[in-house]
Amino acid sequence: MSAREQRAASQRIVVTGLGAVSPYGRGRDVLWRGLATGETAIGELELFDSAEHRTHVAGQVNADFGELGEHLSRRQRERLTRTDQFALSAAFEAFGNADLSEGTTELGVFFGCSTGGMFEGEALFEEGADPSSTTQIFAAHQNNSPADAIARALGSTGPIEVISSACSAATMALEGALQALRSGEVEVALAGGADGLCRLTYAGFNSLRAVDEEACRPFRAEREGLSIGEGAGVLVLETLEHARARRATPIAELAGAGSSCDAFHMTAPHPEGLGAAAAIRAAIQDAGIEHGDVDFFNLHGTGTPHNDAAEWRALVNVFGERASRLPATSTKSGVGHLLGGCGGLEAVVTVMCLDAGMVHPTMGAGPVDPDSPADLVLGKARELTKSNFAVSANLAFGGANGALVFRRFSEEPS
Amino acid sequence: MSAVVTGVGTIGPWGAGLEALSDALESGQSTLSEVDRGKGFHADSSARTAGLVDPAVYREWLPGASARRMSVNSRMTLAAARMAAKSGGLDEDQVGGDRTAISMGTSFASSEFTARLLEQINKTGPQSASPFLFMETVANAYAGQVAMHFEARGSNSTITQREASGALAVARALYQLSSGSADRVITGSVDEMSPLPHALLDRFRALARAGADGVERSRVFDRDRGGFVASEGATILMLEPEELAEARGAKVFGRIRCAVRAFDPTAPAHDWGTGSEPLARALTRGLKRDGLAPKDIDQIVSGASGSRTGDRLEAHILKKTWGDAELPPILAPKSVTGEYGGGQLAAAILALNGQAFASTPGFESVDPDLGIRPHDGASLPTPKRILVSSLASGGAACWFVLESCS
Repeated sequence: MSAREQRAASQRIVVTGLGAVSPYGRGRDVLWRGLATGETAIGELELFDSAEHRTHVAGQVNADFGELGEHLSRRQRERLTRTDQFALSAAFEAFGNADLSEGTTELGVFFGCSTGGMFEGEALFEEGADPSSTTQIFAAHQNNSPADAIARALGSTGPIEVISSACSAATMALEGALQALRSGEVEVALAGGADGLCRLTYAGFNSLRAVDEEACRPFRAEREGLSIGEGAGVLVLETLEHARARRATPIAELAGAGSSCDAFHMTAPHPEGLGAAAAIRAAIQDAGIEHGDVDFFNLHGTGTPHNDAAEWRALVNVFGERASRLPATSTKSGVGHLLGGCGGLEAVVTVMCLDAGMVHPTMGAGPVDPDSPADLVLGKARELTKSNFAVSANLAFGGANGALVFRRFSEEPS
Repeated sequence: MSAVVTGVGTIGPWGAGLEALSDALESGQSTLSEVDRGKGFHADSSARTAGLVDPAVYREWLPGASARRMSVNSRMTLAAARMAAKSGGLDEDQVGGDRTAISMGTSFASSEFTARLLEQINKTGPQSASPFLFMETVANAYAGQVAMHFEARGSNSTITQREASGALAVARALYQLSSGSADRVITGSVDEMSPLPHALLDRFRALARAGADGVERSRVFDRDRGGFVASEGATILMLEPEELAEARGAKVFGRIRCAVRAFDPTAPAHDWGTGSEPLARALTRGLKRDGLAPKDIDQIVSGASGSRTGDRLEAHILKKTWGDAELPPILAPKSVTGEYGGGQLAAAILALNGQAFASTPGFESVDPDLGIRPHDGASLPTPKRILVSSLASGGAACWFVLESCS
């Protein structure tokens, strides 16, 4: 092992800033308070007419982004899509939360995005649309747009990596950030993801009969599908050395990451959750811990019958008998499924849970599925007796899985 | 951090396979097709041609019935991946496994299926949306299809970063190998050029327009360049750690020595920027981190495509990186392959292995602002090291160094 590789192996990567935009509103505190109430933010879809769609609910963001005016000119703001706004708002919040100076330009930006500005791009297909009036949207609707907007706004000259691997995109973006930080390519990075509601995904998931007519009910016996959501979650990650040098306060440590592929089916997970289990196991191994060290699990928890069942099988595969005693929750029950952005928002929530020493409840009516008897936190937030390590996992279309291990910050290495 | 290339598969307007691409690069001949402008996306005065792929050239590489419902992108990716496996002497059942990862890049995902799905939703209502179209509109569909075909159960990621998607996918693959999380990575780039992205690129004035001879041609680095020719295709590279490749006696096409990534914050959302100074610094620092200096580079495989702004940015970065020293020969394969579809990756592998390149087609006069004269067709010694340069509109940048193993 070279000196540089040795340094990388011993390098600890910490979280020093968090930012979020969710259907609860703008900001991580609003998100945390919303989740803690146990009341879902999933409600009636108003962004576009859903009369002809099979379902009519979503986790829609109804926030004002006038605050972006503090950072961007009016002309710059006019060119942003909704997803760009979510991403920028969360990024600026995380950047400020980490107390990074505006002069920090050697940033890496690692981001997950699956639909980008598709909502605005759809205008091209409306009856009577004039393509010449929507060409600006073409640039914005691509999945690289939110991350590019962040890097551009912060004047970053560091590496950029946008993952578009559906629902595990942001989780794998955080994995990429971890590798870049460990290798010494960068000392500080913004990582996360964002996605916005659009007609294409709303109709597409409905065509798969994967959407619940009510707000989603993850891991419940009578669950019928997911609820599509939107928003963004961004974390500031940096080497512990860098954080110490600038006297920043670490909130948590990103201890490990793993990813895998089911290689089984384009839209259905492996029924035994073998791919998901492999990703979770790889993340735990990467963190240098045992599965018994994990204190709670932030589920992918979409609420689709097949996905939750497969995830449960993965938990049993990794944690054995302990699976049914491991506190678990689904952030999607509160905010819906942010698709390419869910891994970012759920990473933010996982870190907040570790920091608070409590897990937010999983919303949704009905008894827990007896065939997937996870120790679901129900009703109200649960205080953890031990909150050192948590896993956040995501399972995606195309069989792509990702998992992250966060550790409550301690000066002592694990 | 290094890995070796043990397989290459490529499909483009030139045909299928390295040999077909080699012929095109040596002759300097592009294959152009008329774009279907009847969909209503194009302006009357738009560009008319693109580098389109004849599906017949890769049909033999498709796995029969299962490919029927795939998008063009999935088909080309899978065909190129199978080609790459064969080129490296791998049986198909040797390719996959728990430690085979996939790191793909795409600029536009499946624009054809996206357009068809949105037309369905708008014309006949959302309840008529086809699940088959929907699942292939997702950008990682092709990586998923390849994973299923080879049973590749390692990490599976897709990068979307416009023109730099392929190079950034290679960079991620390199990280995965060097971190020990995979023993093989199937990596590369794919894009289809359906009428929708072609029309929109044209409306951004990104595409080459016809010259006096009536031909739409990219004029890479030329004073009178006016845009690029948009193309489609797929190129797949199989990467492995060198020691594993050696242990199994694999055929090796070259070593990827290092990758460098950066961003240009001066770039607007839809164009290239002017931030050559910080990008040149990032490139120099990245090379140095791996013990290299500009003088160690024997050839540059440029990502220049004929874009006014993109070519200018690349020229200025190279000038600043090399400073007073003379630039090595600059090959510009996109003058033959067009932009998108990964042809540059395959051309770089060929260049490392002594490929003869024709005098850069379309280049006539040096742009005094650029001061770059691309390859003139002279015979070049086989290089030891090549810098592959890839700059994206929107700001992303990625370079990697290919090195001979001989």
